[in-house]
Amino acid sequence: MATVTYKAASRIYPGSDKPAVNKLDLEIADGEFLVLVGPSGCGKSTSLRMLAGLEDVDEGAILIDDRDVSNLPPKARDIAMVFQNYALYPHMTVYENMAFALKLRKTPKAEIDARVKEAAELLQLEDYLKRKPKALSGGQRQRVAMGRAIVRQPQVFLMDEPLSNLDAKLRVQTRSQIASLQKRLGVTTVYVTHDQVEAMTMGHRVAVMLDGLLQQVDTPRALYETPKNVFVAGFMGSPAMNIKTVPLTDTGAKFGDTLIPLTREQVAAAGEGGQKSVTVGVRPEHCTIADTGIAVEVELVEELGSDAYVYGFAELGNGNGAERFVVRAQGGEIPRLGEIVHIKPQVGKEHIFHAESGERIAV
Amino acid sequence: MATTTQNPAPAATTAEPKGKRGIKSTGGVMRVFSHGFLALWAAMIILPLLWMILTSLKSNDEVFANPLGLPSSLHFENFGRAWEKAGIGGFFVNTIVVVGGGVFFTMALGSMAAYVLARYQFRGNRFFFYLFVSGMMFPVFLALVPLHSIMDSVGLLDTKYGLIMVYVAYSLPFTVFFLTSFFKTLPHGVAEAAMIDGAGHYRLFFQVMLPMAKPGIISIAIFNVIGQWNQFLLPLVLMPSEENNVLTQGIANIAVKERYDPDFTALMASMVIAMVPILIAYTIFQRQIQAGMTAGALK
Repeated sequence: MATVTYKAASRIYPGSDKPAVNKLDLEIADGEFLVLVGPSGCGKSTSLRMLAGLEDVDEGAILIDDRDVSNLPPKARDIAMVFQNYALYPHMTVYENMAFALKLRKTPKAEIDARVKEAAELLQLEDYLKRKPKALSGGQRQRVAMGRAIVRQPQVFLMDEPLSNLDAKLRVQTRSQIASLQKRLGVTTVYVTHDQVEAMTMGHRVAVMLDGLLQQVDTPRALYETPKNVFVAGFMGSPAMNIKTVPLTDTGAKFGDTLIPLTREQVAAAGEGGQKSVTVGVRPEHCTIADTGIAVEVELVEELGSDAYVYGFAELGNGNGAERFVVRAQGGEIPRLGEIVHIKPQVGKEHIFHAESGERIAV
Repeated sequence: MATTTQNPAPAATTAEPKGKRGIKSTGGVMRVFSHGFLALWAAMIILPLLWMILTSLKSNDEVFANPLGLPSSLHFENFGRAWEKAGIGGFFVNTIVVVGGGVFFTMALGSMAAYVLARYQFRGNRFFFYLFVSGMMFPVFLALVPLHSIMDSVGLLDTKYGLIMVYVAYSLPFTVFFLTSFFKTLPHGVAEAAMIDGAGHYRLFFQVMLPMAKPGIISIAIFNVIGQWNQFLLPLVLMPSEENNVLTQGIANIAVKERYDPDFTALMASMVIAMVPILIAYTIFQRQIQAGMTAGALK
């Protein structure tokens, strides 16, 4: 068990002046499940590989349990990693795959056997121990990769998109298995994914990255409720938040004919730097279909059974023409295609951002 | 063969609309040509081999009386005569020793060099790679005279060690060239996983990467066995004394020496003996050879 600390850690690939990871500061507590999330190329995998020792730390440092590991080789860091394509040894059986690391550490045979058997039982792999990876399904391979990490009893688990090669149903199932397994073992875990649903459901805390920069790190609920900037607001939540830049008035944000009232402080903060507009985010689930409000022409309805997502276009009077708008509709009130519906954002649930900097403006 | 491939084409065209017929029948024509060509090629290779095997079982009189017919009775004693009297046995052992040593060291050195060149970034990596590969540019004839004098001056002329060393040097360029690209196709993740599991460079190579490269290693090893087994020019120049001769030289000597009293059946028997190990090796490893040669190209 250990803590992990990134201290202004940067990775600059040779031949590039833009860092892939830019001064990452992050503290991960003992036993915590931290998820790194972001779009492709945001530096989340690079951050993880820096911790694994597969990428150099060009500036700053990485600490595991207050020990600077920045210049240690992977094998000296006492970590175990699960790869996206599992990276199982194709010429070894499942048993040998799991036992390999222990063998290299000269663990006694009896102990290797006990630990592999225990992990196999935990992951329901007992029947496959003598098989080669080629003869396993994708889900089984994924479990072997997990098993290989578990038998090591490392200080930190690293997982690099371990679920992205599984089909949708298995992914959801394995997602909860990994989360409960981590809880049981209590090992500090850093988990990389591009899927915000995975991030929200699995992580104790989630770190959102973009272009090598850490945007925000917080609990899933806090990210959802108080995103620090426009990017985090749009990235977390599905379907994505409606984020629109609209004219700013003395009393609020003007959505066409509808006014979203803002406090005086908010108006002042939004107007900073002579801004005449403000960026407002409203989640689809925080809108209600009413008799008055923002007029939206329905283009598509996604029926999910319990409720439905209504996609449409709205004129917001900001000079951008018709803009896309998504609303969650309750079972009874599902509109037809082409219909004009009126949408009312729930008071107090809107997110206000500065139109230029994209930073959140607190209530 | 041509008729069997032609058959399905007309059967299919009756049901197909007119537009598709043209395409299909050109495909058919191409197939007839390619299969016909392959059949011709196979015949050109198999018929002389067959004739050689048949002749090796005839008596010397029968070779001239009935050169193309089947042997009237099987004269297996030809093989005994070839092995004992013509000295093929000794040549055979020499060849096994030289080719065995040559291939072993070629593979050991070649796989290690290729692995490092394919997987590690360092200054001069490209330089060493091209240095190896440039060995393929020069025909062996260019090196014959200098090789002879070098081997002579270091006292390795007419020794098996010397010939093994020359074979290794001669085989390394293509081996390194081939294996470098093979090692490059192996997934990076597995090497990284092994490093995290605690493997150092040596263990990573011998316990993880080398087993994964098995198809490539086997196919290039077979390629080298065949190449070195069939080598004639190098032993001819570097192994002058008869007791050191390898099979190719020995057989050529038999043909030359018996100019006025040709023992054709023993000669043919010697050739069969020389051919058998390669044929067996190829038959056993056929699948791996194909897998190795097409690795990376398919999938």
